[in-house]
Amino acid sequence: MGMELVGRVREVLGDVILQITSPRENRLYVKVKAEAVLDAARKLKEELGFDMPISAGGTDYPKKNVIELFWIVWHSEMNKVLILKCDVDRENPVVDSLVGVWPGVQKFERETWELLGVNFKGHPRLKPLLLPEDWTEGYPLRKDFDLKPYRSKWGEKY
Amino acid sequence: MSTGLKGYSPFGEIEELGDGLFRLNIGPQHPISGQGRFIVITDGERVFDIEMDIGYSHRGIEKILEYKTFVQGIVPVERMVMLDTSNILMGYVGAIERVLGIEPPPRANYIRTIVMEINRILSHLYALGLLSEAAAWNPAVFLWTTADREPFLDLLEMLTGARWSYSFFVPGGVRADIPNGFIDRLRKTLDWFEKRIEVYEEAWIYNELFRMRTEGMGVVSRQQAIDWGLAGPNLRASGVPYDTRKNEPYAAYGELDFRIVTHNAGDSYARGWARVEEMKVSVDIIRQALDNLPEGPVKTRMPPRPKPGEALFRVETGRGEMNVYIVSDGKDKPYRIKISPASFRNFFTIEMLPKTQEVLLADVPVLIYSFDPWFLDADR
Repeated sequence: MGMELVGRVREVLGDVILQITSPRENRLYVKVKAEAVLDAARKLKEELGFDMPISAGGTDYPKKNVIELFWIVWHSEMNKVLILKCDVDRENPVVDSLVGVWPGVQKFERETWELLGVNFKGHPRLKPLLLPEDWTEGYPLRKDFDLKPYRSKWGEKY
Repeated sequence: MSTGLKGYSPFGEIEELGDGLFRLNIGPQHPISGQGRFIVITDGERVFDIEMDIGYSHRGIEKILEYKTFVQGIVPVERMVMLDTSNILMGYVGAIERVLGIEPPPRANYIRTIVMEINRILSHLYALGLLSEAAAWNPAVFLWTTADREPFLDLLEMLTGARWSYSFFVPGGVRADIPNGFIDRLRKTLDWFEKRIEVYEEAWIYNELFRMRTEGMGVVSRQQAIDWGLAGPNLRASGVPYDTRKNEPYAAYGELDFRIVTHNAGDSYARGWARVEEMKVSVDIIRQALDNLPEGPVKTRMPPRPKPGEALFRVETGRGEMNVYIVSDGKDKPYRIKISPASFRNFFTIEMLPKTQEVLLADVPVLIYSFDPWFLDADR
């Protein structure tokens, strides 16, 4: 089943795939080119049936100068989880929003915009969610954001 | 920004928008809101828009965890949901175990299952209490559910040493074995609790007045539940037979036989009903786990460092599926950990409801509590 699905995903997405792995029975990690992510998401939903978004976010890699974004979706009939990934440039992180494909990723993309500074093109509502409205101190989930200045005195002792 | 009327109401600050519309802030200091804010656009009767404003208790747990070793991270993670600490912790501990490549011994898995199901009962009891309060069943049912949590809290104290946030699960197993007398006491408590569920059903959940108050309110269809990414009992109440315990078994759930509670209505009543039914399932699961409890150690050795890699662990908490995505670079701390809790997904479904159906201002409290929201969970 797992290998079969890998083949199907390869077939549907074609040459936009950079990497595809299936380390566990119902996990599928698919990395695509950043410019093709919206198209890939639409194909995954409409042709393969990955319909339910369960998470999205990003990981900062300052050494490689990229932010790796991920969207995690579940296939409600086949009970498979697919992790769609793409790399965006760290200096100018822009990517298409997938809200049009999976409405449920709206809040996750909003959170990623706020905490990692990734700009989602076509997102209907990019405004502060978790941080204070007047927050100007940077993007907390980036690796160059240091928590040390925020530690209280007693915190440093232990 | 409108400069219209500002005044005090039981719902908080009012702002006039023109055309007879008002913006109400329900919360962040309001009995029904918790530590968050619902911005409601209303004409005084009908609600046209609900906007969620969360983040009042944002602690940056994901960032903090990058600075903590795996075992140190247990404490901040547990604080996400005080009612449901062990289910939340299972997500974190399970993700770490997966990235470390270790499996807990069978007895630890069964003990975990028992603790998690007790926690699910505690979580559902509290949710039902709040729902009853919002639907004007106060104080009777809220007091019952709160009092009925006590015997379970005492049992957890006997097992773990604490009534709240017991840090009982560690990567590789659980901290301690079951003490003498625990199993008998738990069985007796379960027998008693089954009778209590019947009382809830008779007095409240099958009561005509409660049905009239909640049936047909806040309907989420099956398709909407999937599109918006609803979670947990709310999702199952919309007819999606999805339960992480069944679909992706962890701990001892793969070896136990239990049913998935679903309802086709998707309304506030179905969500309340699903929680009552799930408590019965939890009782059943605990009994099976006690019957099949294997012998042996309760902890394996934890390797100090994982291999570089990534893992996704999904767990069914009381409020629904939580998934933990962890990226490891080979150090004893996570490089990145992304926690997607259930409440975060459930909250934003409430926003969508006025767009698809008529929602009345008087229904908003019932509507909110039927989803069993928890701000600390959503804020992280």
